[in-house]
Amino acid sequence: MGYIELDVLNNDAPTRRAIGIDLGTTNSLAAIWSDGRPTIIRHEGDSGMLPSVVNITESGEPLVGRPARDQAVVDPKNTLFSIKRFMGRGLADLALDLSTLPYDVSETERGLVQIEIHGKKYTPQEISGLILQRLLEHTCRVLDTDEIEGAVITVPAYFDDAQRQATRDAARLAGIDVLRIINEPTAASLAYGLDQKGEGTIAVYDFGGGTFDISVLTIEEGVFQVLATAGDTHLGGDDLDRVLIDLARRELAGEMSKAELADPSFLQAVRLAAERCKIALTEDPEAELSIVVPDKGLHWRRAVTRDEFERLIEPIVARTLNACRQALSDAGLEPSDIDEVILVGGSTRIPAVRKRVEEFFGRKPHTELNPEEVVALGAAAQAHVLVGGTREFLLMDVTPLSLGLETMGGAVAKLINRNSTIPCSVTEGFTTYADNQTGIDFHIVQGERELAPDNRTLGRFKLTGIPPMPAGMARVNVRFHIDADGVLTVTAKEDSTGVKAQIEVEPKHGLTDAELEQMLQESIDHARSDFDRRRVVDLHTEIGTMVHATERNLDTARKHLDKESYLDLEEALAAAREAEHEQELSEVQAVRDLLERATLPLATLLMDGVAKQALAGKKLEDI
Amino acid sequence: MAECPSCGAGLESPLCCDACGVLLAPGVEPDPFEVLGIQRSYEVDEKDLKARLLRFSRRVHPDFFATAPEEQKQLAEGNTAILNRAYATLADDFRRGDHLVKSAGGPSDKEEREMPQAFLVEVLEWNETLEAVREAPQGAAGNGDRAGLAELETSLQAEREDAFTALASALVPLPESGADALVDARKRLNAIRYIDRTLGEIRDMRLQQAATR
Repeated sequence: MGYIELDVLNNDAPTRRAIGIDLGTTNSLAAIWSDGRPTIIRHEGDSGMLPSVVNITESGEPLVGRPARDQAVVDPKNTLFSIKRFMGRGLADLALDLSTLPYDVSETERGLVQIEIHGKKYTPQEISGLILQRLLEHTCRVLDTDEIEGAVITVPAYFDDAQRQATRDAARLAGIDVLRIINEPTAASLAYGLDQKGEGTIAVYDFGGGTFDISVLTIEEGVFQVLATAGDTHLGGDDLDRVLIDLARRELAGEMSKAELADPSFLQAVRLAAERCKIALTEDPEAELSIVVPDKGLHWRRAVTRDEFERLIEPIVARTLNACRQALSDAGLEPSDIDEVILVGGSTRIPAVRKRVEEFFGRKPHTELNPEEVVALGAAAQAHVLVGGTREFLLMDVTPLSLGLETMGGAVAKLINRNSTIPCSVTEGFTTYADNQTGIDFHIVQGERELAPDNRTLGRFKLTGIPPMPAGMARVNVRFHIDADGVLTVTAKEDSTGVKAQIEVEPKHGLTDAELEQMLQESIDHARSDFDRRRVVDLHTEIGTMVHATERNLDTARKHLDKESYLDLEEALAAAREAEHEQELSEVQAVRDLLERATLPLATLLMDGVAKQALAGKKLEDI
Repeated sequence: MAECPSCGAGLESPLCCDACGVLLAPGVEPDPFEVLGIQRSYEVDEKDLKARLLRFSRRVHPDFFATAPEEQKQLAEGNTAILNRAYATLADDFRRGDHLVKSAGGPSDKEEREMPQAFLVEVLEWNETLEAVREAPQGAAGNGDRAGLAELETSLQAEREDAFTALASALVPLPESGADALVDARKRLNAIRYIDRTLGEIRDMRLQQAATR
């Protein structure tokens, strides 16, 4: 152990500490503003990256991160990867994924995906909540604090209302106060702008593990204004993997039965092999796709050249460029109008992707910042703004999708156009069409298609409490407001009488407040005990080290300490030995505190005569 | 000029005081020109408009009120929405013109929808050109039709520019309520709407062509 206690807390640390979190499809990462710039929260020598993987053990205990990932092949049905792709989605949205995912998936009454593990159903929000919770614990440990004011959490720019709400709910389940949901490419541009002091028109090409976004924005006097964004929330590194997965399954089809090809451990093994092969091809012109499932006696290898891989992924890369054209067209710009291109997301490490982006924009993209860290860094900078740390920069983002109301005949009347700067609101007047009608139904959709059923249902709203009056007399003003998180709220007022009409919201996708409350209660109970258990383990380790150091110097203590101090020391040691198997946090904490106080005279004594200055701030066990 | 209830300085916008930074409750949604503190006119200085957007945003944006009491937060959300909407209205030539015609008491697009026969014939011809390109065969055989698309786009852009020039001369100086110039302006706006719809379709077709290439 032997750590030096740095005096971090007194070092002019800001009183409010807020972090930025990149909740990624493959990896998650947290960052914080310190010393005038954002930094990744990590132990020295560590990447700080938490694999976004959760394994639920048979006892219902969750493993998160690397230990969970290690269970992929052994315990495939209970190891969840890429849960972000499920956020705010229904089964119909996931058809393609389901063929290669080994989970038991079903749908809630309102069309929300849920995954059954050991007989218990989990929503994507809960699983993401576990990842966020672990990230928060990691943050508290690295920063040696238990007070985090809140967090800015990033989402793909092209996330719709349901996906954003799901993310907000996941954070609530993790006990995190969400200061703001911001878009990943915008966060990246902020990190870039601060780092490179760049101004002008920039394009952020964000190709991550599960999603693709392109955002076009201007940076001017510290204001980051998004002009247009486009993308695909279901296009990322996972799809690049799938190209190799499909290749393997095709070629193995002769040797393996249909059932074997759909076997969960086989699927996880193939998935991991494909990912490894893809990553290797970033560096090497040729790599091996090697699938090993010891239990099934499967050892399959095949060489894949970079050329072959590039041919296979070409349609996917082409789709990202189509989105780039769309965003530029919406912004009224040509590729040549872009001053700088920033690459974000692990998939931009692929040479073919870089080459195509460079050709498209006609300029070399920026790669100074680590494409996997830049989003978290930007989120931390934004968190710094939100807790009042600075007014030097401001993000002005847009809503990625148009918002509309279904009208008679199933057409859509647009209320808010895509790429409108948020927050934005629009107030529409409605009236009744029957005498004494007291309610009006609304169907709100998000998307660009002309017919309501072709768009995503955001919610059905029922306006009630309109005072009875003749048809056409009531004037109900309904205000649709997209807030700074990109999430919609609806309020209504009857104008002729001033009565505030009631709105009942029935989210199509997403959790009701009651469901959220219940999950929250369960997770709080759970989280507290989880956190306590880990803290107990840490404290026991610390006590062990102190006991060991004290015993080594017990002779010195007996000879030189005053009697009272020596007795205190013995008493504390006895208490420590007694508490060896204690699991109650408060008890263990008390023992540790007692031991620390009791060893203080001995530490002072040992330091006397030694170079006191040099040792200041060290603990007993380091001497 | 109204005065700030907090510090007494003259107010440039009903949303906030630029001198002391206090947020103000604007009541009914104020006119976009008032929001951005500029003269009511079809002619606007784009640079000045953008500079005002950024300056006022720095005063009212919810990012700067994230830890403020709920009521302040809501006010910041609402005021920024008003500011963004006002800017979107004024920064776009069509929307600014539409707003001026409406607010000066001119006819709405629904009240004045009649277009000259010759113009409607022209619109039909545009649609035929688009239809031909949609049905054009892939490869060299369809090149003639696709060239027609580029030609149409160029001529529509020219026509659009002329319509905006005519719109400007109808709206500058701002006509009195009930003046014929307002009806004329509405007709120009309707024409622009037809043109823009077709230009939008051309853009979509181009995106699709690029996607399938």
